[in-house]
Formats: sequence, structure tokens, C-alpha cells
Amino acid sequence: MLKDITLGQYFPLDSCIHKLDPRVKILLTLFYIILIFFVHSVSGYLLVGFFTLFLIFLSKVPLKVVIKSVKPLLIIIFITAFINLFFTGGEKVVFSWKFIKITENGIINAVSMALRLVFLVMGSSLLTYTTSPILLTDGIERLLSPFSKIGLPSHELAMMMTIALRFIPTLLEETEKIIMAQKSRGADFESGNLLKRAKALVPVLVPLFISSFRRADELATAMECRCYRGGKGRTSLRQLKINSADVLSIVIFAIFCAVLVLINVYNIRIMGY
Amino acid sequence: MPITVENVSYTYGKGTPFEKKALDNVSFEIQDGDFIALIGHTGSGKSTLIQLFNGLLKPDSGKVFVNGTDITSEKVNMKDIRSTVGVVFQYPEYQLFEETVYKDIAYGPSNLGKTEEEIKEIISEILPLVGLEEDVLTKSPFELSGGQKRRVAIAGVLAMRPKILVLDEPTAGLDPAGRKDILSCVKKLHDRNNTTVVLVSHSMEDVANTVDKILVISDGKLLNFDTVANVFKSSEELKNIGLNVPQVTRVVNHLKQKGVFLEGDIYTVEAAIESIKEYIRRKNDA
Repeated sequence: MLKDITLGQYFPLDSCIHKLDPRVKILLTLFYIILIFFVHSVSGYLLVGFFTLFLIFLSKVPLKVVIKSVKPLLIIIFITAFINLFFTGGEKVVFSWKFIKITENGIINAVSMALRLVFLVMGSSLLTYTTSPILLTDGIERLLSPFSKIGLPSHELAMMMTIALRFIPTLLEETEKIIMAQKSRGADFESGNLLKRAKALVPVLVPLFISSFRRADELATAMECRCYRGGKGRTSLRQLKINSADVLSIVIFAIFCAVLVLINVYNIRIMGY
Repeated sequence: MPITVENVSYTYGKGTPFEKKALDNVSFEIQDGDFIALIGHTGSGKSTLIQLFNGLLKPDSGKVFVNGTDITSEKVNMKDIRSTVGVVFQYPEYQLFEETVYKDIAYGPSNLGKTEEEIKEIISEILPLVGLEEDVLTKSPFELSGGQKRRVAIAGVLAMRPKILVLDEPTAGLDPAGRKDILSCVKKLHDRNNTTVVLVSHSMEDVANTVDKILVISDGKLLNFDTVANVFKSSEELKNIGLNVPQVTRVVNHLKQKGVFLEGDIYTVEAAIESIKEYIRRKNDA
């Protein structure tokens, strides 16, 4: 049940995407996310879709796993689509009943918003599937390091993220254990109305909070014992290097961007959409 | 209330790179009133096995019967199973959550639909059994000592009055006095109420001192299920799977190699003392 939550979980495989420099991957993912919001046409979405599939194929991560990463966010995606569907104004009214009015713009907005969110989640999941948390935060730290001159605590931020990522599986495991223990004491999480179910979670959440605080405390002590003093003068074990594969991936991505821009500029549309 | 496990297999994370076979075609039967230790190396499948006993996990294949009821079937009433088979997990004090000890112990029985009076009665009956005083009932479970917390957590499971009690390393992380207390409380429960007990343990000394039979698993397979004496006879086999015989048995085996033959199967310190006395007496007579 809880093990199904795969967002932010590393999938250790041997593929060319896994081997890319984390900085390159992070930046390209950022660009990818920004680009998605500039897509307006069916042809654009098709291109993004194919490109995403191509990346998943290259990464060797099973498609099923990537699709599963969208599942926890389905509710948000539905709500967004729903709001767009009913609250977008426009000239062409497709359907109206009493105060409900659905316009053509509304439908287009709803579908494109949903598609954008799905691609966004898939793209960013692909980043975390193919990059180990440690490399990921190494990359973020290095990317943010120029900003440390203006007072941004890049090392501390990266360390916080490393710790947070590191503890996701631990906390999930812990949650599962507590659920098992409370189930053994006759707890019922599956039946009853919403209020009853929310109440049934108290015996899980209280121990979980307590153990998180305990863990944080222990970790802080352990770090202090090893003389952790923040990022000052700290060198890293792995030196990140850009190689030819990274350059190639940047080029491929640039071509992808260029095609998307062309689609937008020349307004290439399929059946008018 | 016998537990019958028939050809049970279980695999974690099927279809992912983390796939791991935890249990492989395991079959055995636990009789009424048995006092059994479940031993095995870390990751051998012990914890998985005990989660099958009260239906927290369903086996991929095979069946588990509790008192003749197939608990792997969909129709079974889970609350009945959970109240029949009480499971105390590792470090059970981490599952405490209520404001007072009383409320926390009452959580299990009230989930089973017991009335306030019944619960009160159960709690006053259980407290002395786990060695707690009445005055802890109004305290917060979080202000108790480690050993006391553990007892409260065990009391929380006992309050459901299980016929079968499964404990996953109940003495882990406790000091020697705390270990002894918990074990003697479990033994008392078994002797007084004829509760069937399954005790998961890494301490061969604890096992030798308390249980009647031992279930040995290794790599998800059942290796041995026999009396304490018979299991500890095959010390080589235990060593091969990362376990050992009690310290005192090792000493006795060494003595045997040196030519000092002690009588009987020795796996507790008490038995060793008796046997050594006997040996000296024989020596003096000769």
C-alpha cells in the first residue's frame, strides 16, 4: 500500500540517462518543466509525449513504474482539470445547465492543464528515478554554489534535502510498521466515514511524529559528534565532470526545444487545435 | 488453538529490482499451549512469518489456519483473528500514542467492542501480570522508562486476551534485569493461562531458559522444528546459518573435547552446574 508511493525513489539501473551528470539532468528537467507550460497545441503535446517516452525508453525504467508515479497526484490533477473545466470563460459554450457552463476554452484548458501536470510529474520522476539522492543533492549544491556569494546557504540547503530524501523510505517503513502494530491491536483503517477514518489515523500519526523528532535529535547529535560545521571548507568525495554524453544530451534537448519553438512560432496545429 | 502453516511462500516487491523471496514453501504446525521460539539470522524471514499469523500479510501461495479457520481467505473476520492471535512487534513502545497509559492499553479491547467495565477489569487483571503498578495508569506513556514503556505496549496486546501470543524480540534493547522480567512475565502467562506463545529471539540463552520447542528458519526455509535439546544438538548446522548454541553449551562441548564428560543435554547454566557437581562427585567416588 504505502510501498506504492514511488515519487522520489531511485531506480538503480545501468542506462545512459543514469550516467549523465546530475547538474545537466537537473537543469534539463527544469527547462523541460518550463517548456511544458509553453505548449499550446496538440502537435506540441504529441512532441512532448514522444520525447518523454523516448527518455523513459532510454532510461530503461519500466513505463509502468513511471506511470505509477503519477498516481498519488491524480486527485490534484483532477481538481485542477475540474476547476479549469467549469471556471473558464469563453465565447463558444459547449454545454450549459442552470448555472453550470462549459466552454470550448474550458475543455481545452482542462485537458492541457491535466496533460501538463502529467508530463511534469513524469519528467521530474524520471529525474529522481535515474539519479541517486546523493548525486541529486550534489548536483543541486554545485548548481547553487555561485549564489553562496550573495548569502544563499547552498550547502545547508543541499544537506537538508539529502536528509529529507534519505528519510523518506525510512519514514515510510516506519509508518508501515506502526500501521501493522495498530492493526494487530484491532485498528480499522478501511471502513467508516471520513471522520472515523481520520480519527483512526491518530494512533499512527502520533507515534510517527514522536519517532521523527527522536530521529532528528539523534541525527543532529551524531553529526555534531563527527564535527559537522556546515559547508565551509568542505570538499566532496565525487568530483562532478561534464563529458561528451552530457554535451550530446544537451544538444538533443536543444533540438527538442527548437522544434517546440518552431511549432509555436508557425502555429502548427492538427485539426485546428 | 493450533496454527497450521501449509506450503507458504511470500515475496516482497514482486516485479521490482528489489524483489526478495522472504518465505519459501514453509509448512509446520503449532499445537495448543506450545511455547515455541522462532530463531533465524537477520533477514531469514522471521518477521514475515509472524505477520502471516494474524493476517497482516497474505501469502503468495499456501495457506495459514488458525484454529481450523483459513485466515488467507477473503471472507474471514480480521478482528476475530487479531484478537485470537496477539502480535507484539519489535520495539513495541514506539506504537504508544495515547495521553495516559490506561487509554493506551484500552485501545485494543475498545477496538474489539469491549465495554468500559470489561476494559477496566481486564486492565486490573493484566497490570500485575506485566509487573506494572496501578499508579502508572494515569501517567503519560512517554514519561515512563524504556522497560516500563515496553511493558505497557505488551499489556496493550495482552488486553485483547489473545489465545496465541507472538512476540518479536520482546527483550531487544533492554538491560539484563528488564530482559529477565519480560521473559518471566511471558512464561507466567504461558503457564497460568495455557497461552500458546511464539517467541522470536536472537538470544540462545533466553531461548534455552524459557521455551519447549524451537523453530529454525534460514533464507526463508524451515530448517528444523524440534525440542530445545534436539535443536541445540546440531550446533554445526546452527553455526552454518549464522546462529549458535547457548554459551554454556559451547563451554560444555569444549570440555568434552578436553575429556571432561558431563552427563545430559546441557543448555542452561543451572543444568551445567548440576552436571558439574555430579561429575565432581563421580570423580571423588572413583
